[in-house]
Amino acid sequence: MTLTLLLEQIFNGLQSGVMLFLIAAGLTLILGVMNFVFLAHGAQVMIGAYAAASLTGITGNFYFGALAAIPITFLSGYVLEYLLIRHLYQRDHMDQVLATFGLILFFNEMIRIGFGPAALFSNLPPSLSGFVYILPDTPYPVYRLVVIGAGLVCAVGIHYLVNRTKVGAMVRAGANNEAMAAALGVNIGLLRRFIFAAGACFAGIAGVMLGPLTAVEPGMGEPLLILSLVVIIIGGLGSVRGAFIAAVIVGVVDTLGRVVLPLILRSFMEQSAADGAGPALASMMVYLLMTIVLVVKPTGLFPAKG
Amino acid sequence: MDFFRLLLAGVREQRMLFGLMAGFALFPAYTAYADLPFWNDVAMRIMLLGMAAMGLNLILGYGGMVSFGHAAFVGIGAYCAGISQFYGLYNGWAHLALSLGVCGILGLVIGFLALRTSGIYFIMITLAFAQMLFFLFVSLEQYGGDDGMSIDRAEFVLFDLYDPLRLYYLIWSTLLIISVVLLFLVRSRFGVVLQATKNNESRVEALGLSPLGFKVTGYVISAMICGVAGTLFASWQEYVSPDIMHWSRSGELMIIIILGGLATLAGPLLGAVVFLLLEEFLPELLYLIAPDYAENWMIIFGPIMIFVVLFARGGLIGWISRFGAQRIYRQGDGR
Repeated sequence: MTLTLLLEQIFNGLQSGVMLFLIAAGLTLILGVMNFVFLAHGAQVMIGAYAAASLTGITGNFYFGALAAIPITFLSGYVLEYLLIRHLYQRDHMDQVLATFGLILFFNEMIRIGFGPAALFSNLPPSLSGFVYILPDTPYPVYRLVVIGAGLVCAVGIHYLVNRTKVGAMVRAGANNEAMAAALGVNIGLLRRFIFAAGACFAGIAGVMLGPLTAVEPGMGEPLLILSLVVIIIGGLGSVRGAFIAAVIVGVVDTLGRVVLPLILRSFMEQSAADGAGPALASMMVYLLMTIVLVVKPTGLFPAKG
Repeated sequence: MDFFRLLLAGVREQRMLFGLMAGFALFPAYTAYADLPFWNDVAMRIMLLGMAAMGLNLILGYGGMVSFGHAAFVGIGAYCAGISQFYGLYNGWAHLALSLGVCGILGLVIGFLALRTSGIYFIMITLAFAQMLFFLFVSLEQYGGDDGMSIDRAEFVLFDLYDPLRLYYLIWSTLLIISVVLLFLVRSRFGVVLQATKNNESRVEALGLSPLGFKVTGYVISAMICGVAGTLFASWQEYVSPDIMHWSRSGELMIIIILGGLATLAGPLLGAVVFLLLEEFLPELLYLIAPDYAENWMIIFGPIMIFVVLFARGGLIGWISRFGAQRIYRQGDGR
């Protein structure tokens, strides 16, 4: 295996890790602060991707579509919390799993009715579709670099929001002890709605950026949801820092595993069998990682509750 | 005979469950009369899903352990039949024994590791194990990988499955046995302790019992029941693929239980009946109203699930018993 390929795959892993972080950042707060099992977070990714793809199609301008999609996802999270989610906080986890599972079905079907079952593909503007040389003989797509950059900017923004602002202090207080935070005058109901909408917004940004990289189709959010659940469990519930580290680890392990494992398997298997089994075993490794973390440290790497 | 006295008392108490079982016993007579052989297939699927849901309900409802990965055991049970056939073993009883053994051992390992955690972490670790097994079977190319493998109906020595009705009654009698086993289990000392751990684990500990042992045992038994359901499912479908252990299947099992009624014996079976009937009839109903959208029946099914959670607490069983209680109350009032 060449250095070039390795470097390229590490960049791809970083890119998928950054995407996972954007999805997991909101989810870890929803699970950690509100103790709410929210399975429909993947639908927010899908809403963001569809909003961006269709707005780009209507206006013909990729940048406008991408930017206009972001407030839409914020609004969808806000409305969803107001209409349904706030009635479910006091329920047990099973009710939450069931209700948000119902939401997944509803959203996927809405999209299928509105946009048809086929995948949408959006083209990149010429300014983003070129290649740059990260090493003298290693071309790498500009767009993926932009995604990594934008994701890192978002990560810094989330870090600033959580650790340096008053709202962030309330969020952290809520993650640590909600009753005490409420007793000190934090409006928990409003805080929850804000976290929900912000989380939906970040997931939507991930969807917007993923649009040109993957197929935009109904149900696209669910595999991402499951992976980001893995991320937040490894990182520790409610910990944004843990989510970032875990997201990069999961992204790199998953991406590298898909390339490296078939190469290892080929040494003692037929090539076709190795190429078939490799990606599935790479997906398995992510869950293996999570299980090892949970067995060794049952509350994740950086638990928020002290 | 103590056993029969208890059994009779149990049957009387669980009228709903054994009433449903009686209905399933007579159902083929109706389909033969009305010439609707397709509905036998639906009924078999209902019984199989109900069986798996009953197994999951032992820990989900009675034990309070929210396992989000029980479809994995259904899948392992199915692959026990599939892989045995791949190597030329067609004896269904052997498949069932293998499935009980494999799911038991796997349930012991997974249960022991997963029950170190609780709450959301337990939900997620059970999901992780299920995903691992899912991707393991996706990666096993010689057993069909992603596409799965076609198999034959297993050969049961005393129950030749050549006739589909024999498969029907094999599934029916297995379900009956499992119902009776669960009926005794939840009222035994084990069952009472298991329900007590759901309410308050530290009190159980204070009474000198080890909750972990009871929880792991419950987990193993529920895994084995799901395995049996999976093995029979393979014979019914004549096809095994990793799709049967996809995480959304685990979600479906939970839906069935909550729809019917948590921690009740009849709940999972009633839930399976309603779930599959909705799946059959919603598209047709939608076709009458809006023919263009008949295939989008999930747009109604999703909100139904949400409404069940919001308004029908205790599931259908809870709803029915509340209705019954109200009627009795009214009768008493009028006297």
